[in-house]
Amino acid sequence: MLVLGIESSAHTFGAGVVEAGKVLSNKKAMYEIGTSGMIPKKVAEHHILNANEVIASALSGAGVSVADIEGIAYTKGPGIGSCLQIGQLAAKTLAKKLGIPIVPVNHGIGHIEIARIMANLADPVALYVSGGNSQILKIDAHGKAHYRVLGETFDIGIGNMLDNFARAAGLNPAWGSSVERQAQGGSYISMPYTVKGMDFSFTGILTHAQRQLKLHTKRDVCFSLQETSFSMLCEATERALLLTRSDEICVCGGVAQNSRLKEMLAIVAKDHGARIGYAANEFNADNGAMIAFVGERMLSRGIKASLSKCTIEQRYRIDSAEVVR
Amino acid sequence: MKPIVSEGAEARIYRTELYGRRILVKRREPKRYRIKELDSSIREYRTRREATALARARSSGASVPRLVGVGRYDLYIEEIKGKTLSSALGIGSGATREAGVQLAILHNAGIAHGDFTPANLILSGKRVYVIDFGLSSLTTGSEERALDLLLMKRQLSRAEYSSFIRAYRSNAAEGNETLARLREVEERGRYQKRTLSNI
Repeated sequence: MLVLGIESSAHTFGAGVVEAGKVLSNKKAMYEIGTSGMIPKKVAEHHILNANEVIASALSGAGVSVADIEGIAYTKGPGIGSCLQIGQLAAKTLAKKLGIPIVPVNHGIGHIEIARIMANLADPVALYVSGGNSQILKIDAHGKAHYRVLGETFDIGIGNMLDNFARAAGLNPAWGSSVERQAQGGSYISMPYTVKGMDFSFTGILTHAQRQLKLHTKRDVCFSLQETSFSMLCEATERALLLTRSDEICVCGGVAQNSRLKEMLAIVAKDHGARIGYAANEFNADNGAMIAFVGERMLSRGIKASLSKCTIEQRYRIDSAEVVR
Repeated sequence: MKPIVSEGAEARIYRTELYGRRILVKRREPKRYRIKELDSSIREYRTRREATALARARSSGASVPRLVGVGRYDLYIEEIKGKTLSSALGIGSGATREAGVQLAILHNAGIAHGDFTPANLILSGKRVYVIDFGLSSLTTGSEERALDLLLMKRQLSRAEYSSFIRAYRSNAAEGNETLARLREVEERGRYQKRTLSNI
């Protein structure tokens, strides 16, 4: 089934085309965050201006025309309301005009499922780390399948923390890549380390790291911030791995692009005889292909929504969304 | 060291002998994913915190294992013989009532256990011992205390919980405040679907 997926929950407007579980194209336009972060109205404007072109280039990149599309999937949430609305509108308009089925998709499930299947994992503990989300999840086998949240951040997502710090340090914010580059060869200074069971918190370490910039070199602060916050994620993931007796770890979401995080998680996996898997970076950043990917699996099982049910939900919890396996 | 009794995410428990007495050693093993400086400071801090909590609990009159010694990353603890409450549930309300009394003693002493589940309660004769203070905190507010109650509420049957909470309420100095906080915690959506018992 040829499915077009549209993602617009945050800074990225993405469109991807998937058929039979194969990604045929994955195009995006990204709002420049700069020094002021995401201003909802401005990001929505960016999406309005870029929607047509991104969708057109996804179609041409896949070598198909708009009339070939057999189904539409879009991000229902979680995300920024004004941004979600643009993707929703584009998806509903196309579905109505073409007379094809449409299905709303949970953003987080998009991230996890594309990584899980591309990495060929069966039933992993998933660490989903991005700007807005940081969670540890596993499929609940009882009843209809859905992801159960085993642990999560008490406050902000780790990506949000790294971006905020990067701005304070005069670095270019993006999933911790600038922090990672700066951290090379740094030495350790003490930072707050907050893990409670499988939950964690990042606001304390953010404030602390920002203050340390006045006392230590940028390199040492970046190094210590990265090592400490990633260790927190690893500890919680390790606990989840032991508790669920799983032998697979799947890491996904924007911050999964960070190679130090993947390196540390690989050690956790190795020490417990588990396997670690992740998708290519293109699919860890927000993208339309992951929405098309999950959408195709739902639509081909006959799961679709009437246009009046195609809503958005800013706080769409991942554990309330059914997963088609 | 002697055979491993159990292995958790944080520590391994070994059995050994000290002056002819059988004791347990709880050792926080190094984690290779963490850089050395961070790893040793976390293990050392948590070992010390757990030792403090255990000692304070005991001097407050709670039924907890005797702390025999403390190393940098090791706790030497008396072994409690008995059955965990998780394996002995359904045996009547006496044990759950005693669990409520024990939790009240801990909270009155300013200790939140952090992992107060039937698996960490040992029924030994008529006494209920509280073990594993690895996630405990000593600077407790009503939130931490409420989370101790929430874990029990999720894992006990209604009748068991009712005898547990009655005993807790009549022994806890700030019982009403903690129960009010528990209602608040339960109303937060994110906790509603998060029981661990049915993973």
